[in-house]
Amino acid sequence: MAGTSSRKSGSAGTPTPSSTETDLVKEAEATRASAGYHLIGKRTPLIDAALKVTGRAEYTDDIKRPGMLVGRLLKSVHPHARIRSIDVEEARRHPGVAAVLTGDRYPTPFGVLPMTHDETALAVGRVRFLGEHVAAVAAVDEETCERAFELIHVEYEPLPVYDDPKVSREPVPVKIHDRALRDTNLQKEVFQHFGDVPKALEGASQKVKLSGKYLGVSHGFTEPHCTIAEHTPDGRLTVWSATQVPHYLHRSLSEVLGMPMHRIRVVKPEVGGGFGGKSDPFPHEIACAALAIETGRPVKVLFDREDVFYLNHGRHPTQNDVTVGVDADGKFLAMDIDALIDGGAWSSFGVVTTYYNGVLAMGPYRFDNFRYHGARAYTNHPPSGAMRAHGGTNMRYTVESVVDEIAARMSFDPIELRLQNFLPPNFKTINEFRITSNSVRQCILAARDRSGWEEKYRKLPYGRGIGVACGFYISGSNSPIHFTPVFPQCTVHLKADMDAGVTIHCGAADIGQGSKTVLAQVVAEVLGIRMDRCRVAAVDSDTAPVDLGSYSSRVTFMMGNAAKAAAENLKVPLLQAASELLEVPPDRLEASEERIHVKERPSQGVPFHEALHKAMETKGALVASGAYSTKPLGGTFKGAKAGTAPAYSFSAYVAQVDVDPETGFVHVENVWAAFDCGRPLNPLAVEGQIEGSIHMGLGQLLSEGLSYRGARLMNPSLLDYKILTPMQMPKVECLLVGEDDPEGPFGAKEAGEGPLVAALPAVGNAIYDAIGVRLMDLPITPDKVLRALEEQRKKGGAVKPPAPTRPSKRTPTHGGR
Amino acid sequence: MHLDAFDLHQPTSVEEALALAQRHAGKFDFLAGGTDLLPNYKMHLNVRPHLISLDHVAELRAFRPEAGWLGATVRLRNLEGSSTLRRRYPGIAEAAEEIATPLVRASGTVGGNLLVETRCFFFNQSYPWRQALGFCLKADGDQCHVVPQKTRCYATFSGDLAPALMVLDAHAEIAGPGGRRRVAVADLYDPKGDGVRRTKLGPGELLVGVQIPPGAEHLKAKYSKLRVRPSFDFPELGVAVALEEKGGKVARLEIALGGLETYPRLMRAQTSPLVGERLTEERVKALSEDLVKAVRPVHNTFLAPDYRRKMTGVYVRRAIGALRSGS
Amino acid sequence: MPKKVPVRLRVNGEEHELHLPPQRILLDVLREELNLTGTKRGCDLGTCGCCTILVDGEPRLSCLMLAKLAEGHQLTTVEGISPAGALHPVQKAFIDLGATQCGFCTPGFIVTAVAFLRDHPGATRDEISRALSGNLCRCTGYVKILDAVEAAARTLAPAQER
Repeated sequence: MAGTSSRKSGSAGTPTPSSTETDLVKEAEATRASAGYHLIGKRTPLIDAALKVTGRAEYTDDIKRPGMLVGRLLKSVHPHARIRSIDVEEARRHPGVAAVLTGDRYPTPFGVLPMTHDETALAVGRVRFLGEHVAAVAAVDEETCERAFELIHVEYEPLPVYDDPKVSREPVPVKIHDRALRDTNLQKEVFQHFGDVPKALEGASQKVKLSGKYLGVSHGFTEPHCTIAEHTPDGRLTVWSATQVPHYLHRSLSEVLGMPMHRIRVVKPEVGGGFGGKSDPFPHEIACAALAIETGRPVKVLFDREDVFYLNHGRHPTQNDVTVGVDADGKFLAMDIDALIDGGAWSSFGVVTTYYNGVLAMGPYRFDNFRYHGARAYTNHPPSGAMRAHGGTNMRYTVESVVDEIAARMSFDPIELRLQNFLPPNFKTINEFRITSNSVRQCILAARDRSGWEEKYRKLPYGRGIGVACGFYISGSNSPIHFTPVFPQCTVHLKADMDAGVTIHCGAADIGQGSKTVLAQVVAEVLGIRMDRCRVAAVDSDTAPVDLGSYSSRVTFMMGNAAKAAAENLKVPLLQAASELLEVPPDRLEASEERIHVKERPSQGVPFHEALHKAMETKGALVASGAYSTKPLGGTFKGAKAGTAPAYSFSAYVAQVDVDPETGFVHVENVWAAFDCGRPLNPLAVEGQIEGSIHMGLGQLLSEGLSYRGARLMNPSLLDYKILTPMQMPKVECLLVGEDDPEGPFGAKEAGEGPLVAALPAVGNAIYDAIGVRLMDLPITPDKVLRALEEQRKKGGAVKPPAPTRPSKRTPTHGGR
Repeated sequence: MHLDAFDLHQPTSVEEALALAQRHAGKFDFLAGGTDLLPNYKMHLNVRPHLISLDHVAELRAFRPEAGWLGATVRLRNLEGSSTLRRRYPGIAEAAEEIATPLVRASGTVGGNLLVETRCFFFNQSYPWRQALGFCLKADGDQCHVVPQKTRCYATFSGDLAPALMVLDAHAEIAGPGGRRRVAVADLYDPKGDGVRRTKLGPGELLVGVQIPPGAEHLKAKYSKLRVRPSFDFPELGVAVALEEKGGKVARLEIALGGLETYPRLMRAQTSPLVGERLTEERVKALSEDLVKAVRPVHNTFLAPDYRRKMTGVYVRRAIGALRSGS
Repeated sequence: MPKKVPVRLRVNGEEHELHLPPQRILLDVLREELNLTGTKRGCDLGTCGCCTILVDGEPRLSCLMLAKLAEGHQLTTVEGISPAGALHPVQKAFIDLGATQCGFCTPGFIVTAVAFLRDHPGATRDEISRALSGNLCRCTGYVKILDAVEAAARTLAPAQER
């Protein structure tokens, strides 16, 4: 299968693309192949896979330090209460206990965003959710820690509990944080208006409004949080942590502990999945470091699964209303959105979330009128935060459902309706996003052709259905979280030494997505060498230059560009040295196949290592650096930077479902996932991101959800929080049809988060096609499906929706652009 | 997560196990596969200072599907893997292969599933979680949070084998200080209990195994399970049906339901009037409606109780349909 | 001091004599006493499959086993699946077909799949998916895991008509 980026999972038969169609996937592959790269674009096994399949890869919890203590954190038993007093003296005296800390020791507030610091290492004077940490204990073992917990006496004074964001929006007697807006518990509110939405809606020939309701979602990574800290007599602090953002952790440790950054070393071992759940600096990481300072001994804090659910920072529980108006021909005129987001007890990425729920909504479609009102409320739920396709998932489901509903009401084929309304490439949107590469048309046509859409849409028997949805996501955030003083968003260092190997240093956090492999691929591609000459050094703040972290789908784009620049810089002295050996000017030389040779005469050249050794004669090991920063982007209005990115991914997914009308069970049979990530650097890894995204998206759609009764989380376990099993995965066909992005490394864009967003509404729309019921309350569990069907039967009969009557233009696979 | 300290006993015979049970009366649990007990112990739920492991009691491991005998510590994995069992008692094989996950079934046992602890959102939680709630009737507290009162526990019976065995009229063999006795699996559970203790096993009594009576292999039998995911999840509803028709009329029809209430129930009151009747579509429909009326699930599992009731009817109809069509 | 009992374990062919409190869980002992950290702790409650090891060749959850009760059994962890310097066909296929991303669930999948294919060399994709239905993976959507185990099944049963 090498070199083929359209792959089906499952051993079942091939869906039949109609033979008259041009195959967009094959065309895209042929175009890419013509560039002649030797590593880029090849299906490349991840460079750490051999360690992972043998159990040798080292995760934080696998690390042991001499004399290491166990650190544990005492949880609040109140969702909202003042802490009148904490008496820890008895616990401190208990045999085996090395230290007990409370919030007053390091009270400096912190948070991932500089403008909303409202978290503390341990609760200071107040607890704001069940499970918040009120004290930290270091002891010889877990049993002793728990014994110490029993000896810690906390006196609480309960406060009013806020578990409904609607209440948080109103004036409240007690604010969860002083920084909440006005006399409410709102953390952030956003108003945006472009064009004239009321006027445009007035003139619309069809207006569709749908409201979506979404439970909170957990990242569900398999590795629970774990941190080890050690404070050594030389005054240095080393912290190993399961984090996606070693640099932000580094900053927060420094701020809260009052220790200069250069005395702190942050190491990121292997991370067992993140999906945004390890993309904040966390209280337990700082508390762990505090215990290490206090005891002078290494301390490990390992979460159990329940702790993971309380730390949460998952996808926000959300209610949103989306109204879209269209003209008689189906042209989108205006979009109006209202979103209320349950932020839980802390801010985390909340400012970004509040913007993203609006600014990413128009997505792949062109609108000239857009209005958004978004509010994120503090509540006494565990804090919500960033999760894969942050801010772009719940709103996308409502938007794509609205588009599907417009098509149904106006009797359009939903693919034709979308084709009429897509943003073109190289376009500036009404909210001043700069769109460059954009293959959304190819995506939807490829998904249409491969899925057999024409033969299935509204034509499958009752209970079976097919649906389509599109997606759009940022490929890296244009704005770094910390913007003064100015630094690059990513830096890569290379060292080539006499062993003829190249060591790559970069702070980018590989959390399983394969960014280490991309680093090696890019550097080896530029230097024309085998990948095994490249080794990617550990993420260690002492040696690795800063990358801002694995979030906002920024790594491939930014790190890839930085790595490319570094490798090109390293190539300069190599070409110079080869030029001396060959007596040919460097500009006539190129590097390929482990040699540096004359461009037009490959036989005239020197092996890589000879050129390297020559170059090292006077300066020793070659070192080079490359960095990447985005160009200034976006408008000048308030919030204009939110959602601006150097590139955007696009997608179109078609899903096919089988719904049991008697039980309400939804079986997702197929997903045809057409994705535009520009040029896929490693199609094997890109497919993995798409398939994993579909799994995660279908989980949120069908069974996952943080279930609260009041402020109490009812399902903090992997038994009751229902992640899909292998038996529930549909057949997935990945269709990679993107064109090269002008600014991405080798033309690449993101593929880490964007692949999630279309999965949910494609299935939701397929359910509508199957049974004529639109389900807007996620997760769509069988009991909800059945209830909706019963209501539908009461209103008159369970039938499939009618087929579109508008003569389909039947947009050809080519042309019509 | 750690376990509180306990003494571990490893008897090698039923007698020795009973003697240990007597010596540590009220302060022990029997430990078989551990897949139910150990998670509960990790959550510090009703832990005891003595654990009596049944691993080395050879008698309990006896597995003779050809004779209808299933020892108490026969692994669930052995049930689903036995072609003899599947041929003779397909309903039991179907129930076994639907339990939890393949990994749990490799450790989990027949006895463990029959006597599995009842489950509830307010019970199957960690110590700090329950502490924040003020604990519950079933562990460390005196208040039920599902149906607020202080006398009865509403945790849901979540075993799969019991209904499948009940419809075959299987009997449990129980060893105790007073010798051995046999009791119908259908009578193993105590409808009059307070819900916390829901079996009729006396203190210090040990389940030795289950005997399926001769002739049961001639019944058509089926087990269907409602759950959100096709693995991991406990039953939200378990329907076992056994059917024999002679000359187009019902000679025998048994239905047992699990996953709905605090104990599994054999629904004779609803099925016995059908004996001697033709199983028409109308009768099956009426039967399923009767069953829906007879069950009272509460809101302490994942799916809504009204939905689980409705599904009782659907699953019964489908199971009977499948048995009659031979699928 | 907590009471300790002698515990003799045979792991990956090697004997270990330990003194442990009887309530120690096998997973904890493997990771903390024997430094066999390839076996992962994902939930500690039997609901994720990350801690799977082989007990007399059968995949079992080491988080739900007392170490003391593992005496007398042959234990195999992911470290013992293949001899030094070699890879089992399942491991090889996991690498080549992209079946591991973050890698945290991978050891559990590997040992489960190795045992399953030993007993069912000609297994179909559906059978494999059922056999792996006690292991959760959050990265891959299982697609490439199933691809890899299917490919390994073919390697292991080349002559068998599938």
